Amino acid sequence: MVTVQMEEKGIFDQFKDWYTNRHEYAKAWKEKGGKVMGYFCTYVPEEILYAANILPVRILGSHEPQDVTEPHIFAMFCPFCRDCLAQGLKGRYDYLDGIMIAQSCLHIRQTYTSWDLHIPTDYSYYLPHPMHVQSPQATPYLREELIQFKKSVEDWIDKPITNYDLKRGIEIMNANRRLMNQVYELRKKRNPPVTGLEAMYMVVSSQMTDKHEHNRELESLLQKLSTRDIGDPGERLMIIGSEDDDTEFLAMVEDLGATFVTDDHCTGTRYFQEEVNPSEDLLNAIAERYVKRVPCPSKDWPKRTRLDHIIRMSKEYDVQGAILIQQKFCDPHELDTPAIKEELEKNGIATLFLEFDVTVPIGQFKTRVEAFLEIMREEDLF
Amino acid sequence: MTTIGIDLGAKNTKVVILRDGEILTTASVLSGFDQKASADEAVNNALRNVGIARDEIKYITATGAGMDAITFANDTVTEISANARGITAVFPSVRTVIDVGAEEGRVIRLNENGKVVDFGINEKCAAGAGAFTEAMARALEVDLEKMGEMSLKSTKAVPMNAQCTIFAESEVVSLIHQKTPKEDIIRAVHDAIADRITSMARRVGIEKEVALVGGVANNIGFVDSMTRNLGYDLLVPKDPVVPEFIPAYGAALLAQDELNGG
Repeated sequence: MVTVQMEEKGIFDQFKDWYTNRHEYAKAWKEKGGKVMGYFCTYVPEEILYAANILPVRILGSHEPQDVTEPHIFAMFCPFCRDCLAQGLKGRYDYLDGIMIAQSCLHIRQTYTSWDLHIPTDYSYYLPHPMHVQSPQATPYLREELIQFKKSVEDWIDKPITNYDLKRGIEIMNANRRLMNQVYELRKKRNPPVTGLEAMYMVVSSQMTDKHEHNRELESLLQKLSTRDIGDPGERLMIIGSEDDDTEFLAMVEDLGATFVTDDHCTGTRYFQEEVNPSEDLLNAIAERYVKRVPCPSKDWPKRTRLDHIIRMSKEYDVQGAILIQQKFCDPHELDTPAIKEELEKNGIATLFLEFDVTVPIGQFKTRVEAFLEIMREEDLF
Repeated sequence: MTTIGIDLGAKNTKVVILRDGEILTTASVLSGFDQKASADEAVNNALRNVGIARDEIKYITATGAGMDAITFANDTVTEISANARGITAVFPSVRTVIDVGAEEGRVIRLNENGKVVDFGINEKCAAGAGAFTEAMARALEVDLEKMGEMSLKSTKAVPMNAQCTIFAESEVVSLIHQKTPKEDIIRAVHDAIADRITSMARRVGIEKEVALVGGVANNIGFVDSMTRNLGYDLLVPKDPVVPEFIPAYGAALLAQDELNGG
């Protein structure tokens, strides 16, 4: 029994390995003769990069304390944006051929700007992205910007990106999204065959590996998951918030006997939930996808569309409790938190609010999470 | 039926021995580097007080920051639940518990059944907790025990914008340089902690009655600042236990509940 468990656990090892050894992976990929693009934020249209045979790699932090960003980023900007810049300043992404960002929040844009200023790369691109995604003009606006961006990439690689290439780019991205959605679908089961930690490794690793390879791994994973049983999930939790690849936190919570069954994170569902609907005008189709996707709270205005979305998801996944977690000083998320908390509680879902820093204060968080679970367990008795 | 509650706090380890609902004795020792040894010492001291052998103890429940180190406990429970159980036994009418310990301040909201509805714990900074008063007492060369009494003699509120213990200490130094009377500085220190704790309490939601527990609740100056902030009296336990023993008492009661079949 134990050996079976161990063996089964191994089915997510490849994702964890990609995540842990992200730099080695990208360097090895590059050896084969391709360009690697570091990007900030999941609004970057990776379809166009895949169409140009460029490997998009999302730049993330390392969760280690650092002392190199103080001259470049305000101390009260979020820890994530500082952690990301520190990676650049320390030379950990020295293999990148280019960097880019699509506008979301100011904090991460400062990381991009500072990186561009202090860490030379062959190519850099700032993609303006509509903030008012609820406007009917948002898609045409982004389409125009994508035309410019595509041209800029073509100039860089000195090769045209054809419609055929774009279709290829869309297909590979869509296949990745479809497969991850299929895995998430299984988490709705009474006994989900996937833990929250495993799901996080799966999604985050997809942001830094060649999706051709990632898709193959997902296909093989799905076959194994159909018969996998890891037992009673305990409390079914949802995790909601800003950038989060704090695997240590998820592991701690799940060690206490609860399971994350879904999330609203840009390292989770916000990254992959929607596919591009290919139409005649491919750039328009891509633009539409990024305008209509579940938004980052920096763009969810004036209507808070995430409220309905989160409640709908919590019902689909039969969520009992939600942990709202955000990077310290992340104003967009903080602004939404009271509304989300209220809406969840109105729907009978217990909530716990926490703030991340660069390192995770596991001991202090553990007390809060334990008390949160104790409250939920008490309620169960009555 | 005899049970023990142990609260292994950041500064002190508190023990309560309970027999059939009645407190037999309490004991407190400093939490040392070896937390299990501190728990052992506190338990042995308490047992010696009343001449009970260890094997008479039917159930031990541990709580507090270091609870996981107490490997001989039958069960662990967070400070939040322990506080709720303890305070409900002393003051059934309490809906909000404010617990200020050495390193942490906590606010716990209860429903009419004494169950936890919501809670808040101060962030990493210890400015809203007892360690802060201690540091300030050192800076002012005043015995910690005298801080409360002295601050009541203050005639003037001095604003102190303390965000953290370190910054607050330099503010205190500035006040000393300005020849501010000690009494006023001490009151400013208590007001600063009270402001931080009250802010957190407002976030969690304050509902009457409000109880103040934890070691800092023994400081009458701090109680005074809290009373001024809230505009009404707070309940501070005296009998059967003093404020810092409420979580250990709660843990002992939970141990007893466990033996009674939950």
